[in-house]
Amino acid sequence: MTRFRKLGVAVVTAALAAGTLAACGGDGDSGDGGDAKTLKLWHYESANSAMGIAWDRAIQIFKDEHPGVEVQFERKAFEQIQQNAGMIINSSEGPDIMEYNKGNATAGLLSSQGLLTDLTTETTKRGWDSKLSPSLQTTARYSDKGVMGEGNWYGVPNYGEYVMVYYNKDLFTKHGVTVPTTYDEFTKAMDAFVAKGVTPLAEAGAEYPAGQLFYQLALAKADRKFVDDYQLYKNPVDFKAEPLKSGAQTFADWVAKGYVAKTSASLKAEDMGTAFISGKAPMIVSGSWWYGRFKNEIKFNWDSFLFPGNKFHAGSSGNLWVVPAGSKAKGLAYDFIDITLRPEIQALIGNNGGVPVAADASQITDPKNQKLIENFNTISQQDGLAFYPDWPVPGYYDVLVSGFQSLINGSKTPDQVLDAIAKPYGEGVKEITGK
Amino acid sequence: MALTQTSAGPQRPAVRPEPVRTPRKRRDGGAAYWLYLLPGAILFVLVIGVPLGGTLYLSLTKWSGVGDPTFIGFDNYTRLFQDEVFWTSFKNTIAMIVAMVVVPTLLGLLLAAVLFDVIGRRFKPRTAAALRAAFYLPQVLPVVVAGIVWGWILRPDGAFNSLLDVIGLGALQHDWLGDPDTALPTVMAVMIWVQIGYPVVVFMAALQRVDPELYEAAEVDGANWFHRFRSITLPQIRPETFVVALTCTIAALKVFGPVFALTRGGPENATNVPSYFAYYTFFKKLQVGYGSAISTVLTLIIIVVAGLFIWLQYRGERQDREV
Repeated sequence: MTRFRKLGVAVVTAALAAGTLAACGGDGDSGDGGDAKTLKLWHYESANSAMGIAWDRAIQIFKDEHPGVEVQFERKAFEQIQQNAGMIINSSEGPDIMEYNKGNATAGLLSSQGLLTDLTTETTKRGWDSKLSPSLQTTARYSDKGVMGEGNWYGVPNYGEYVMVYYNKDLFTKHGVTVPTTYDEFTKAMDAFVAKGVTPLAEAGAEYPAGQLFYQLALAKADRKFVDDYQLYKNPVDFKAEPLKSGAQTFADWVAKGYVAKTSASLKAEDMGTAFISGKAPMIVSGSWWYGRFKNEIKFNWDSFLFPGNKFHAGSSGNLWVVPAGSKAKGLAYDFIDITLRPEIQALIGNNGGVPVAADASQITDPKNQKLIENFNTISQQDGLAFYPDWPVPGYYDVLVSGFQSLINGSKTPDQVLDAIAKPYGEGVKEITGK
Repeated sequence: MALTQTSAGPQRPAVRPEPVRTPRKRRDGGAAYWLYLLPGAILFVLVIGVPLGGTLYLSLTKWSGVGDPTFIGFDNYTRLFQDEVFWTSFKNTIAMIVAMVVVPTLLGLLLAAVLFDVIGRRFKPRTAAALRAAFYLPQVLPVVVAGIVWGWILRPDGAFNSLLDVIGLGALQHDWLGDPDTALPTVMAVMIWVQIGYPVVVFMAALQRVDPELYEAAEVDGANWFHRFRSITLPQIRPETFVVALTCTIAALKVFGPVFALTRGGPENATNVPSYFAYYTFFKKLQVGYGSAISTVLTLIIIVVAGLFIWLQYRGERQDREV
């Protein structure tokens, strides 16, 4: 028995040692780190994207203005940050400033746990709030429960995104279809394509596009109160009433009429995008994140228009700069955020196919980019950013994907789909608000 | 351990003679064994034991992944057993066992016997080896890569539907992975393709250790191929069959990669499996406690199934020795 006891002691000692090592996360200095000589910066934008290009320049400007400060930049994967951010910034290995996903389940969750620095004072002092419209500020501010829209500032966005209709001008001309400006003209244009044997809208049931199309259709009958109720839990949402009922029914009608292919349930966003890029699809309804790629890869004439008839559009600020509570160089982090909001950096975002939030329009030279930004400014100024349908509760993305795959397949009625997506929404909201 | 006992028969004495023992030596040898086991034991505790203990503890809590977990007892388990998706995922696991264990083992057995006994004899051994390698190829491919490629093949405008069109079966064209009725059978078919090479290789290796004289004697006695297969091949390679069945069953119970790459559990949970359900709950819904409960139940099932297989194998060996 002695042998077993000794072995047991050794094992327990090893396990405790491992536990102790794992728990050795430093608390970090919570001061502003005015004398810090290093800024550890992480983001997940690809080097040739609009934001990647702009932030490379911002880092250069930061270095020029902070001689003697070393910038330790690491490019991370989106999933890497999304799944591990809590653990990373709770340890001594975290960055001083990091790009992070906006929304209740991400930045909201971390802020409610005290892991992010409250940027309210700095935002007012440096005037960041005056550069961002109220609907852009929604994703930057979080309540003590981590619900976006009100409370303190825990992040600063510096680009925007929104959903629009991209169309192939050459296919419109070839089939004699007029570019629509109203909802009725939009459906007539799609009828015209169907009559010619062409499916007008490429779709992707296995990923976000189908849910976003449903949301666009619902938003046609929505007001700000609905958006606030749905996204910010201000009041309970009735899924069997307008606008969601109309969104689901119209989606099913569009599948039935052949506007959306019945065989698109298993397709992914990339499939939809490449169908458009290759000239097979006359239109897609998707986000501004495609813009730069379309500019680079499409050989035919193409353009975009806002979803006809809608005041509200799926869209929001881009992701946020956040400063982890354990950052040892907060002052430097604030300086960097400030640089990314300067006209020079904002213009770089705009000129590379991104949507800046504080750009001087005269500095955007490309007409296509100008249109992209003008449309965003139109939505933003009319308080029309309605965020995204999967935001309200964690895991809702997959719920919507599953629901709208059923509508594309015709395996469920709009009523059944609304039931299927209402239940997880209710459970998720209860989990967050306790109501 | 039973493995040291290699022969048995009517000559065996009724009472086993006691081995000569030298107590001092045995004690020293025992201590040395424990010393050698210690690094492995420490690693086991650190790599398996501590995470398992952590998962068990978290399964009794409510936790979003940051902040402090709240202890809630067995609430996650109560919720789990009432969760429709959990039961659907286990129902799909049975389909995965069919696709990853039953069909590949049966088919693998047949293919290995044909390759070894027919192809290997009538053609050059190199032909059988090349075919064996061809069957094994899907096992070499990373499963996510295979999943993505199959996803391309099976998409509505993919190669499979084009092939159906070319051979005049265009009416059968379908969104194979997008339709809840066809998604699971389609994933099962892909899994059979992935899995088939493993039993073929193991069974062919097993067949090489079977004494050829047994086959020759059977042939002299007039046994045809099927008789030889049933009376010699199957009993002789039973240990390997157990190993294949056990490892494939465990692989089927915890299958994740192909489901993630092909369907993400959809459409409508038609292809959801426990490990994907645990991942989704853990990382997407940020319900770490509930995800841990799913993982714990899955681990328990795997331990029970593995124990059952080992017991069956042990019992089989014991029966063999007693014959």
